[in-house]
Amino acid sequence: MTRRNLILALIVIPILVVSGFYLRALVRRMFFENRPRPEDEMRTQLSQQALQSESGAEQQTVTLYFPNFEAGTLVAEARQLTLAANNTDRIRQIVLALIEGSKQGHARGLPASAALRAVFLTSDGTAYLDFPNEVTQNFPVGIESETLAIYSVVESIIANIPGVKRVKFLIQGREVDTLDGHADLTGFYVSSQATTANAPP
Amino acid sequence: MTKRFPQRLSSRSALFLAIICGFLLLVWPARRLRSENFIFYFPDQHKSLPTEMMDNAVYLPLIPLLNLAGQVSGLQEKHNSLKVWFGDHQLEFRENKNKIQVNKASVSLTHPVRRSNGQWMVPTGFIPAVLPRITGQPVLYQHGTTRAFIGNVHPVSYSVELQNQPSGVKLLIHFTGKVSIQTAATNGKWIIFLQGPPVAPLEQEIQFQNPYVSRLDFDDQDGRPKLIITPTSNALNFYPQVSADGKVLSADLMKPPSPQQPVLAQKAPAAAAPPSPGAPPAALPLKPGAAAPIAAAPAPAPSLPVIVLDAGHGGQDSGARSQDGVLEKNLTAQMVQKVEGALKATKAYRVVLTRNGDSDPTFEERTLTANTARPALFLTFHAGEMGDRSPVIAVYTYRASSPPPANDKPLPFIRWDLAQQPEASRSQQLAQDLQQQFAQISGANAPQPMEAPVRQLRSVAAPAVAIEMGTLSPERKAGAIAQPAFQQQLAEAVVHAVQQFSPGGAKP
Repeated sequence: MTRRNLILALIVIPILVVSGFYLRALVRRMFFENRPRPEDEMRTQLSQQALQSESGAEQQTVTLYFPNFEAGTLVAEARQLTLAANNTDRIRQIVLALIEGSKQGHARGLPASAALRAVFLTSDGTAYLDFPNEVTQNFPVGIESETLAIYSVVESIIANIPGVKRVKFLIQGREVDTLDGHADLTGFYVSSQATTANAPP
Repeated sequence: MTKRFPQRLSSRSALFLAIICGFLLLVWPARRLRSENFIFYFPDQHKSLPTEMMDNAVYLPLIPLLNLAGQVSGLQEKHNSLKVWFGDHQLEFRENKNKIQVNKASVSLTHPVRRSNGQWMVPTGFIPAVLPRITGQPVLYQHGTTRAFIGNVHPVSYSVELQNQPSGVKLLIHFTGKVSIQTAATNGKWIIFLQGPPVAPLEQEIQFQNPYVSRLDFDDQDGRPKLIITPTSNALNFYPQVSADGKVLSADLMKPPSPQQPVLAQKAPAAAAPPSPGAPPAALPLKPGAAAPIAAAPAPAPSLPVIVLDAGHGGQDSGARSQDGVLEKNLTAQMVQKVEGALKATKAYRVVLTRNGDSDPTFEERTLTANTARPALFLTFHAGEMGDRSPVIAVYTYRASSPPPANDKPLPFIRWDLAQQPEASRSQQLAQDLQQQFAQISGANAPQPMEAPVRQLRSVAAPAVAIEMGTLSPERKAGAIAQPAFQQQLAEAVVHAVQQFSPGGAKP
C-alpha cells in the first residue's frame, strides 16, 4: 500500500464508521420511534415533567384512584406531587401519575406504555383527554377493566382539579365508540361516587 | 331353456341397472338442487347467482359475481392464480388462499378461494370485504344469509306478533317500511307476496307453539320476497289485510263459523272471550271438503317471547385473548350457541342472534336487530380481564356515563341513545335473577350485579344485561370458561334465569 492510499484509508474508514452509526440511529428513530416505552422510561419522563412544572410551587397531596378487581371498585391512594400552576398541566400530571402506577401495589388502570397526546380544558368545566391509538395496546380488555380504567382517570381528575366537572376521552384526536370494544366513550364522564366506595361501579 | 336363461339374466340385469340408475338420478340431482340462489338487490332490479357449499361455507362464482356488480375488463389466469381487472381495480386471487390482493392491498377472506369445475369460487365474505371497495357503492350483507343489497337500497325488516282471538289467532307482522301484498294459497299454505322495497328478515323461519299456525317462513329464492304461513289445519279461514300506512300486515286465521252459529256472532269479540287456560278444547267444526277434523286443540298459547343473544366481537375484532390463545370472539360465539340450544329446547322461546358466524356487526346493527325483534330480553356475552379470581361470571346493567338530560318536553318517540333508560329497573331484576343462578354453579365466582357504561346495552329497548366471563387475559390460561362442560352449566343457568324472569309461551 502506498503512502497516499494509507492516508486515504485513514480518512475514509472513520467517515464510513461514523456514517454507519448515524444511519443506525436514523433507522431506529424512523422505525422504532412509536414503540411502547418501558416503564422506567415513563418514570424518567414523569420526573422531567414534574421538574419542568416545579417553578417554585410546593408539593401537594393528591388522591389517585386505582382499580380493585376483586371488589370491582376503585381504591384511593395519596401521592405527593408538585403540581403545575395551570389546570391543564395538572390534569396531565395526574394522568401521567396514573400511568406510572400505584406505589402501594394496587392494580393498574392504564397500561405503563400509555401516553397522553393532549389535554384541553373548556370554560364549562369539561376536560378533553386525547390519548394515542397505542393506549389500547397492552390494555387489559374487558367490561370491568375498561370501566375501572376510565373511572380511575375521571375520579382522579375531578377529585383533585377544582372546576373540572366532566371528562371526555378522545383517541388520536377523535371521538370513538369504545375504549377497546366494551366501555362507551361517546359521552362525557362525570364523577361516580359508587366507584370509589365499596359499592360496585 | 338355454336360450331363455341369458335373456332372463339380461332382463334382470337391466332391471337392476334401472334401479341403480333411478336411485342415482334420485340422489344426484337432489344433491345438486340443494344449492340455493344468492339474491343481489339493486335499487331498481334484482339478480341471482347459484351458490355452492364447500367446507361448510357458501361460495359464489367469482366472474359472474363481478359481472353482476360491474364489468370485468380483463382476466389473466395462471396455474393456480388469477388476475382480474375490474374497472380501474386489479384483483389477484390464489387458489386455496384466504388472502387476496385488491389494488396491491391484502384483504383477508373468511374462507379460502376455491376452484370448482374449472370455475373460480369465492366465499360470501368476499361481498362485504371487497365489493364496496371496487364498486364504490354501499353493500349491505348479513353474514349467513343469501341476499345482499348493493347501492342505495333500503330493505325493510319485520317482527311478528300473535294475538289470540275467540275462534282463531291474529298474526300481526310489523314492517319497518311500507309494503303491499298479494296472496295465494298452495299445498295447504298461504303465500303472501310482499311488494315494495326488498326485505331483510331477521329470522328466515319462525315456529309457533299455537293451535292455529305452526310456522312462518320467508323466501326470496326467485327474487320475489314472500311470507309462507303454514296453518295447523286446512280447515281454517284466512283473512289478510294491510293497515292504511302499509306497515302492518294483519292476518286472521279463524275457524269457519259452525252451521248452527250465525256468522255475525264471530264478529262480536266482546261476547266471545278467549278460552281460559286449562279449559277443555272445543270440538272444531269441519270445513267442507276437509279430510280430517282439526286435532283437539289445547288452549291457545300466547306467542313465544323473543330472546336476543349477542355474541360480542367477531371478524377482525377478536376481543380479549388468553395466554393459551382462546379468543373472546370465539368464546362468546360458543356460549351463545349453547344458550340458544338450551333456550330452544324449552320450546318456550324464540331466539334471535345478532351475529351469524365470524362476522362483526356494528353496535348499531346489533341493536337494530334486537329492537326490531321486540325482544322480551337481551343478553350480550363478553369475556375479559377480571383479576385473579377465575372463573368469574359478572353481570352488568347499563349505566350512562353522565346523567341523561332533564326531560323538559315529553318527546313523541324514544331517543335512540336513551332507549335503555326506561328499562333500567327491569334490567336490574334480570341481572339479579342471572346472578342468583350463576352463584349456584360450583366453583364459579358470581359477584353482585354491577352497573357499567357497556356500549352495546345503551340503545336496547328491552331488559338488557351484559354477561362477562373471566379471566381472559394474555397473562393467564383461559381455564374453566373455555371448557364445554362449564359453558353448558352456564347456559343452563342462563335458561333458568330467563324462565324466572320471563316465563315464556309454553313450559318445557
